[in-house]
Amino acid sequence: MAVSSPGSERGPGAAGAGDTALAVRDLQVAYGEFIAVERATFSVKTGHCVAMIGPNGNGKSSIATAVAGLIASRGRVELFGELAPRGDAVWAVKRGLILVPERRRLFPQMTVHDNILLGCYGWTQSLRRAQRDATTEEAIALFPELRSRLKQIAGTLSGGQQQMTALARGLAARPKALIIDEPCLGLAEVVARRVYAALAELKRQGRTVILIEENPVRALEICDEVIRVERGIAYEASKPSAPGRGGASQAATL
Amino acid sequence: MSTWGNLTLAGLTAGGMYAVFALCFVTLFRTAGVLNLAVGDFAMLGALGSDYVLETYHTGFAAAIAISLVAIAVFSYAYDRVVLRPALEGRRSTETIVVIFFFTFALSFFIEGVGKNLFGVDVRSPPPLWPGPALSFWGLHLEKAGALVMILAAVCGIAFAAYLRFSLRGKALSACGQDTFGARVVGIRQSQYRAGMFTAMAVLAAIFGIVISPITGFVYTTGGTLGLFGLIGAAFAAFNRPGRAVIVGLAIGLAESYLGEFSTQYQDTLLYGALVAIILIRPQILGINPIRAA
Repeated sequence: MAVSSPGSERGPGAAGAGDTALAVRDLQVAYGEFIAVERATFSVKTGHCVAMIGPNGNGKSSIATAVAGLIASRGRVELFGELAPRGDAVWAVKRGLILVPERRRLFPQMTVHDNILLGCYGWTQSLRRAQRDATTEEAIALFPELRSRLKQIAGTLSGGQQQMTALARGLAARPKALIIDEPCLGLAEVVARRVYAALAELKRQGRTVILIEENPVRALEICDEVIRVERGIAYEASKPSAPGRGGASQAATL
Repeated sequence: MSTWGNLTLAGLTAGGMYAVFALCFVTLFRTAGVLNLAVGDFAMLGALGSDYVLETYHTGFAAAIAISLVAIAVFSYAYDRVVLRPALEGRRSTETIVVIFFFTFALSFFIEGVGKNLFGVDVRSPPPLWPGPALSFWGLHLEKAGALVMILAAVCGIAFAAYLRFSLRGKALSACGQDTFGARVVGIRQSQYRAGMFTAMAVLAAIFGIVISPITGFVYTTGGTLGLFGLIGAAFAAFNRPGRAVIVGLAIGLAESYLGEFSTQYQDTLLYGALVAIILIRPQILGINPIRAA
């Protein structure tokens, strides 16, 4: 089960560390007749970095989008002790559950800066506040590569730069918990390393992160716990069985 | 020279309105995937509705305009809530452009039917907002209603561009058009924007109808023709380029005016012929990528 991670600094998302940030019970997702998620039951504690791993097509992204209220689902989702209304993405965003979705889903004809500013929409609808708020600056500061590209149209960025923009947009939302779905999908290894360095920084800040990854070796480099998803069933978060932070041995068992 | 100048002014007057209608089509389609085919009918409803209230209840012109605009706002908002929202977000989701197309097509017929019953079949119009003889300068003549249309179109265009560029809500509106899922991810409630835009577009069209109708007079079917030119303007902008939609709207107004100088009888035929020719020569303008044989 979720345990506190020694050495983690209390950061933006770490208030009340150890409390349950997200509790999911008997979540079920179906697309018509096809049941993508049969049963997902797990919890994530505040300030923890948890990997959700499993083979492709086993329901990880469906769980993420359902928890974020973006698709219809059955079951019970509690966010910081509050029961989430079904299919209400705005509710989740306003309470600080932010999804960085698979394939980024940026606004391709807008600038990088506008994309990041729109991350603030959940807590302000004032452009001036969004521009002046320290959160936006911190989000950009995590990715210095973006600073010279803030006026560039997002659709013209490379895949890695788009992923950084999507992460910065997620951070601008003042997240209390981040769900990051396949951040390295389609990226070259060197770019994936850069993205993971940023994720490690988020963990160091003590943020609550659920990282969805197909590659367990990579995920366990930064995550303390694992939620396994197999054939539409998600199992409760558990600590990696192998000691230390290296993920190779754990990955082998998965 | 003055003939061409006057034709140009007349073309810009009509074109200004087509441009605004084209902008309405593009904006609503980009925001929510809704093609509002009734936008021209709201113009008719604004013009004839305010005239009806004025003549029937003797309220005074300002009150008649206010009453008709409020009624149109309430009706269009209710239509979004009762018809469009369930169609787009209900359990039996019918998120196809064809279905929404028919919903607004039906709305257009409904409004025309109400218009026929309430306002009759005669040509009518409310009093001009800016009464008096046409403006004359440099040998040119411009109806005051035409000048108001151009001013209003310019103000609306600038205000809308500023809204999109300098407000987070405006950027959120653009975001809905670029990636609906992405917009929901950042907490944008698309249905609010759709309802707001649908209502605002209806009221805006009604205002234009009130302003321009004293020039030619309106009947209950006038809205269909106005809306059609707006739709064509939007189609030539591939339903996703507001700037181009405005330019095409203005160009249609100008072409219509110039062609009328050659033949009033075949004015519309020549105009549609020219539009078809442009599509045949350059189908990409509609957002269509033609498949060429190898």
